Amino acid sequence: MNCETAKQQLVLFVYGELSFDEEELMEQHLDGCAGCSAERARLESLQEVLSQGESEVPAGLLARCRRDLAVQVAAAHAAPRRSLSLAALWRDWVVNPPLWLRPVGAVAMLALGFFAARIVPGDSPALARMGVAQDPAPVFSRVRLVNPNDSGGVRVQYEEVRQREMSGALQDDHIRRLLLAAAVDQTDPGLRVESIDLLKQHCSDDEVRRALMNALRTDSNSGVRLKALEGLKPYARDPETRKVLAQVLLVDDNPGVRTQAIDMLVQNKEPEMAGVLQELLPNEQNGYVRSRIQKALNEMKASAGTF
Amino acid sequence: MHTGSSRIAGSTLGMDEAELIRAAQAGDHDAFERLVRQYDQNVLRLAMNLLRSPEDAYDIYQEAFLRVFRNINSFRFDCSFHTWLYRIVTNLCLDHLRKKKVRRTESAVVETPDGPMDRLDSVPEMRADGDPQRTLLSRELRGRISEALSGMTARERMVFEMRHYQGMRLRAIGDVLGTTEEAAKNCLFRATQKMRSALGDFV
Ligand SMILES: [Zn+2]
Repeated sequence: MNCETAKQQLVLFVYGELSFDEEELMEQHLDGCAGCSAERARLESLQEVLSQGESEVPAGLLARCRRDLAVQVAAAHAAPRRSLSLAALWRDWVVNPPLWLRPVGAVAMLALGFFAARIVPGDSPALARMGVAQDPAPVFSRVRLVNPNDSGGVRVQYEEVRQREMSGALQDDHIRRLLLAAAVDQTDPGLRVESIDLLKQHCSDDEVRRALMNALRTDSNSGVRLKALEGLKPYARDPETRKVLAQVLLVDDNPGVRTQAIDMLVQNKEPEMAGVLQELLPNEQNGYVRSRIQKALNEMKASAGTF
Repeated sequence: MHTGSSRIAGSTLGMDEAELIRAAQAGDHDAFERLVRQYDQNVLRLAMNLLRSPEDAYDIYQEAFLRVFRNINSFRFDCSFHTWLYRIVTNLCLDHLRKKKVRRTESAVVETPDGPMDRLDSVPEMRADGDPQRTLLSRELRGRISEALSGMTARERMVFEMRHYQGMRLRAIGDVLGTTEEAAKNCLFRATQKMRSALGDFV
């Protein structure tokens, strides 16, 4: 090896990126060449200096990143309306499309699209200037009567949906009623996820627990069902809950939901669960869920075929 | 990743990486979180080193792991998860660096009474280690490193960061960047030359 080749390969040498043979040749050359050895020493001290110069990750940044990621991932399931970039993910979780328009509302909106200019002209000069029609959806539910008059105007009779706000503790009876109603609102899966998420903190309440079990059994959205499962976790021993869980195992089409249901059912390792799992095993299509069942069975020391 | 308080203890403990990936693909948030935590510190360091700004590094972190979350089902185990993740991260960083470069050429140079000045010529935060001599040295050093980095191409920087600070092998770096080991070698070589001339009297 001559000095020119050596100088070219020294960088790779100090990073340990030369092949075994190349490294041998390099070491032989370095043994006999003071110039290249000095060069090697300089490269090594460069590496050391560079290591001191690494820009530091500010304290708390990692924790902030982790926390916000967790929030975003949860939000990806809970509230797609707030984050458009997560729309793609949301689609996976929403089995039925988010029907935010009720049929009745749709009719009303068509009608109002036609009449809006006359109904709200003075209300929002800014919107009018921008040529943007004010979104009528939250205000009107239905136009009852359209009545042209002699002077070329028109009289419209409509029903108004008034948006009202209420705040209070989760324990508050009114709030709880509203949440229970929202938990079964067929038009908005995001709303159901959020409501279930809040309700599950009060799972000790019988009515809430029934609502969760109901959501787990019947909700068309797997995000909602997963939330309901989470809320039921403290009740994995409750016979009624277990019945629903077993049903979920048999009929739920979402592997994530089935996996969680298995975990909850086997956590107390009751021997009768082995029989149920045994029965499920041959019918389970999803490889991951199957491996989870097998694992649970092994942990119960119930080998396949003994039940 | 879950908001519930009562997680079945240990359900994802003891899973190896492939099991964690499969669980995450099946919708297990806990598994996803554990997967993230195996890599996120290094991802954040890489982004921080490349972009030299905590806010930019934060953005890369969020965007990268959200992409992983959204696309985990398309991961088919035909490369390592590390390689797959780093492809996402380096692509985001490259985009970011390119945008930054555009901003720089657009707005960085301002006219002052003393002639044109680069207003981005700021030195990254120094270590607060209390030794003024060292702090001074480290400030000067960081300034020089910054300078050398801005003289590198985006690819040279990528290779240099991944080899020097992440300790990745050049072959793996080639895989991540969609290039050959040979090309990665050349990038490392040029990057080191540039560092050397910038840091001449420190070594
Ligand atoms: Zn020599």
